[in-house]
Amino acid sequence: MITVGIDVGSITTKAVVLRDGKIIAEKIAPTGYQPQAAAEMVFAEVLSAAMLPADDVTTVVATGYGRSRVSFAGRSVTEISCHAAGANFLSPAVRSVIDIGGQDSKALVMDATGRVKDFAMNDKCAAGTGRFLEVMAGALGVGLDAFGPISLTSEAPAVISSLCTVFAESEVISLISKGARRRDIIAGIHAAVAARVVAMAVRIGLTPPVMMTGGVAKNIGVVKAIEARIGSSVIVSAKAQLTGAIGAALIAARPGSSQGSGIRSQGSEEP
Amino acid sequence: MNTEPKPIDPEKEKRKIKAVGRMKEIMTGYYIEAKTAEQSGKKIAWITSGGPVEPLIAMDVIPVYPENHGAMIGAAKMGSDLCEKAEAMGYSRDLCSYARADIACAPINGGPIGGLPKPDMLVCCNNICGTVLKWYQVQARHFRVPLFIFDTPFCHTEFSAEARRYVRRQVDEYVAFLEGVCARKIDLERMHQVGRLSLAGQRLWQAVLDTSMHKPAPMSAFDAFFHLALIVTLRGTQTVVDYYTALLAEMKERIENRISAVPKETYRLLWDNLPIWYRTRWMSDKLAAHEACLVADTYTSAWCGTMKYIDENDFLGSMAEAYSRIYLNIGVDEMAQNVIAMIDKYAADGIVMHSNRSCKPYSFGQYDIRKIIQQQRDVPVLLIEADMVDERSFAESQIDTRIDAFMEMLK
Amino acid sequence: MKESINMHEFQPFHDIITDPFDYARNWKETHRRKIVGHFCSYTPEEIIHAAGALPFRIFGSGEAVSLSDEHLQAYSCSFVRSALADGLSGKLDFLDGTVFPHTCDTIQRLSDIWRINLGMGFHTDIGLPVKIDTDSAGEYLKSVFKKFKTELSENLDYTITTADLKSAAHLYNRLRRDMQRISDLRRENPSIISSNDLQALTKASMIMDREAFSQKLAAVVNGLTEKQTRPDKSRKRLVLSGGICNIPSVHTLIEDCGAAIVWDDNCSGARYFEGSIDPDGDIIESIAQRYLEKIECPAKHAALFRRGDALVNIVKTNRADGVIFLFLKFCDPHAFDYPYIKELLDKEGIASMLLELEMPLPSEEQLKTRCQAFLETLA
Repeated sequence: MITVGIDVGSITTKAVVLRDGKIIAEKIAPTGYQPQAAAEMVFAEVLSAAMLPADDVTTVVATGYGRSRVSFAGRSVTEISCHAAGANFLSPAVRSVIDIGGQDSKALVMDATGRVKDFAMNDKCAAGTGRFLEVMAGALGVGLDAFGPISLTSEAPAVISSLCTVFAESEVISLISKGARRRDIIAGIHAAVAARVVAMAVRIGLTPPVMMTGGVAKNIGVVKAIEARIGSSVIVSAKAQLTGAIGAALIAARPGSSQGSGIRSQGSEEP
Repeated sequence: MNTEPKPIDPEKEKRKIKAVGRMKEIMTGYYIEAKTAEQSGKKIAWITSGGPVEPLIAMDVIPVYPENHGAMIGAAKMGSDLCEKAEAMGYSRDLCSYARADIACAPINGGPIGGLPKPDMLVCCNNICGTVLKWYQVQARHFRVPLFIFDTPFCHTEFSAEARRYVRRQVDEYVAFLEGVCARKIDLERMHQVGRLSLAGQRLWQAVLDTSMHKPAPMSAFDAFFHLALIVTLRGTQTVVDYYTALLAEMKERIENRISAVPKETYRLLWDNLPIWYRTRWMSDKLAAHEACLVADTYTSAWCGTMKYIDENDFLGSMAEAYSRIYLNIGVDEMAQNVIAMIDKYAADGIVMHSNRSCKPYSFGQYDIRKIIQQQRDVPVLLIEADMVDERSFAESQIDTRIDAFMEMLK
Repeated sequence: MKESINMHEFQPFHDIITDPFDYARNWKETHRRKIVGHFCSYTPEEIIHAAGALPFRIFGSGEAVSLSDEHLQAYSCSFVRSALADGLSGKLDFLDGTVFPHTCDTIQRLSDIWRINLGMGFHTDIGLPVKIDTDSAGEYLKSVFKKFKTELSENLDYTITTADLKSAAHLYNRLRRDMQRISDLRRENPSIISSNDLQALTKASMIMDREAFSQKLAAVVNGLTEKQTRPDKSRKRLVLSGGICNIPSVHTLIEDCGAAIVWDDNCSGARYFEGSIDPDGDIIESIAQRYLEKIECPAKHAALFRRGDALVNIVKTNRADGVIFLFLKFCDPHAFDYPYIKELLDKEGIASMLLELEMPLPSEEQLKTRCQAFLETLA
């Protein structure tokens, strides 16, 4: 069986082709302003990379913030369910996922089959998201990509206690003016993000092994800070960015999936 | 690093209040007795800060105050950590930080004194707020001990005849509850004695606070926050009467010797709401640097504010009204009049209002109280937004700026 | 989007709850009677109705909420903030009075702020007990209701008689029984009425002329009883539980994710029409007794596990697959109960999710995602 998962994120759209449980092609491209167009284009490109015609595809499942815009998808499924399935594929022992994206952060716990048992989301508040890190990078005049490596050299992370991004920025500025070392401030910022996100995760019973997904997983400083907070190591897959699309493709292959018990995408036909 | 002892500043030494040492002794002894109650066979009751402690004293039950513990947690800067733990247990971050900290402490014996001793009973009086009801319900489920709720209906504009009857009946129910848990009858003679001592203690506490009418004030609200502990926790004992007698004498001595809380008192301010427990020193130093003294506050005066309703010769009979009419159980307009009376009494130049995220009954209405004050007395009001125990809600540089701007306005 | 019943049948109710102020003004002009505003399902509406006035439940329109910033800090719930804003902006000028049963700390202070700043007729605090499980509390509650009746008579310049009260009790018993009947019908077949329509009906029952509503309600009950609709067993059955839900779109949003709401355990839902008044004996005491017996608001105190056990019962009776808690941000009483109730549900293997809401709703998308994700975990 051949299925495709499409993850329409706010910055990038990802697609994965799965044949009999194996990834045979993957594609990432910017989403731009038109999620539908981005989805169509990435779908076409990934099929081309797999050297398959669209007719060979049994089911397409769309996920991500733009999931309801993918008219050709059979179903749309939330990123939560998809990240669980995807994480399970990438590392079957994983039981929890922490996903820190640009605008939100999520935590989920799952069973051995990759199904979600419980989840929590922070989608109201910038603190504990990629946006928080962007704001701080601006305040420090340091490129965001450098955050991870610089923070690892700190031996005494600063304490940033504000729960609000704007106030935390004030704290950072205050630390700068008091002459605190950049590495310590950045380490402190990472600790603050970790504190926020882990607090959310603990509420749903975070269980190791933990995997991190989402753009912020590329920041080694945040990963280490989360590891320090939970007291166990965190898995980051090389395919972290594709986790949602992989999960979507897997869910598309689940029996009963084509029955359409989830939301119908806009524009698709009623049974 | 310099290892020599810091030189003693005679000025600072002179300014220190001598009774502080005795308070620490008493409170340490009190907590030790509470934590070793199993050995003495005494029962422990957890009670709210506005709750009727006198019957407990009369029955030799040791009263323990989770709110006082909350203040200690705040002062020890352990608040955010414990609040985070409560959030991990599923309690919303927007709930009262005293409650969150205490609820987190209980299962792990957290906090600065290794946790509070387990209660044999819980006594909850909702004259201060509705949060204590929920908090004590949580603890009742956790500890599985009897819970008594002393329900004092809110006095928006009056203490109604219906409420009076209801609360009076509950006094009897309360005594019956205690007799049940302790398996013995109350000694009415002892109760009478405790009632008189309670009133004596309250009068002394009021007298202590009144010494700050003097210009300059011999003590500040920060001192009051510290010396408050006894009138709250052990009201009705001889210890309290002795302590405040000595403290009052010391204040009078300071007045005679022209020792003031703030070296150069130029501005006299009033504080409203609970203290910011983890920043009292910072704020005290900051205001002192501005030559400002917090000469009085609405919080510490709450424990001697309803004496006029108590009949010394019938404490049990008259306490219903006294407990129902406390500062937080009355309407916003009445609170405003109380504040105005304090402005006049203490000759205040300005007010500092702590908009405390954790205390809705105290904080909601502050904006209207401010308006009424400014209409009737034309005194400037500074609003500080923070939390009494959870440091994460304290934005230092913002508050620092506000205080500076306010003082510039006064100068 | 499927509509489970002829949309026109419920449109009048939707119209009323979309602009309740308009309805109230028109009603007042037509009938030349009085309107008494309130915020709480512990308000003894029967007594207000017995006085010939319309009990008008204030939900907060969500407009110009920043007006409240002058009187209330940001850490107050959006229900109170929007209700105050309605008062301050003049939208409630048609009120002849407002009554405030004692509820939570925020409503308590709202009462003072309302009394000090607004002047729409009379202002009465109904000092209800917080406890409802002792004799003295019960006696006190009854005495408070009696006092309220006397004060209301003065304020409305109308002497409320026993006959008035019995008639009101009779009417309210009928209303509540009919609402209960609709819930029972829906339990068996959620397709007969959308939750959005039932919510409109319920809210309308707190705003509309009660006699007129009662007649319309009887017609709705007949219609639903006779309705032949194929039961749709594919949808997951959910129970909602919380306080005030003054966000109209929430029900539709949840059901559009593919769920069927089979019970609405909210203060602005089923808790409003729970129980009935015993027509025998002292009528005020009977009215009061219902308020003592119904499952309590978390701002009140009864047995320690009563609310949690009641919810587990509701889930089982309604054969629900899960619970969605709908709390307003900054609602302390509900937030304090949540952990123990969740624990009870977990022990019973009942899935649940907590949604913290604000009025107006910051983002429907986020709500949709959470609901959809929750339903996916039930699959």
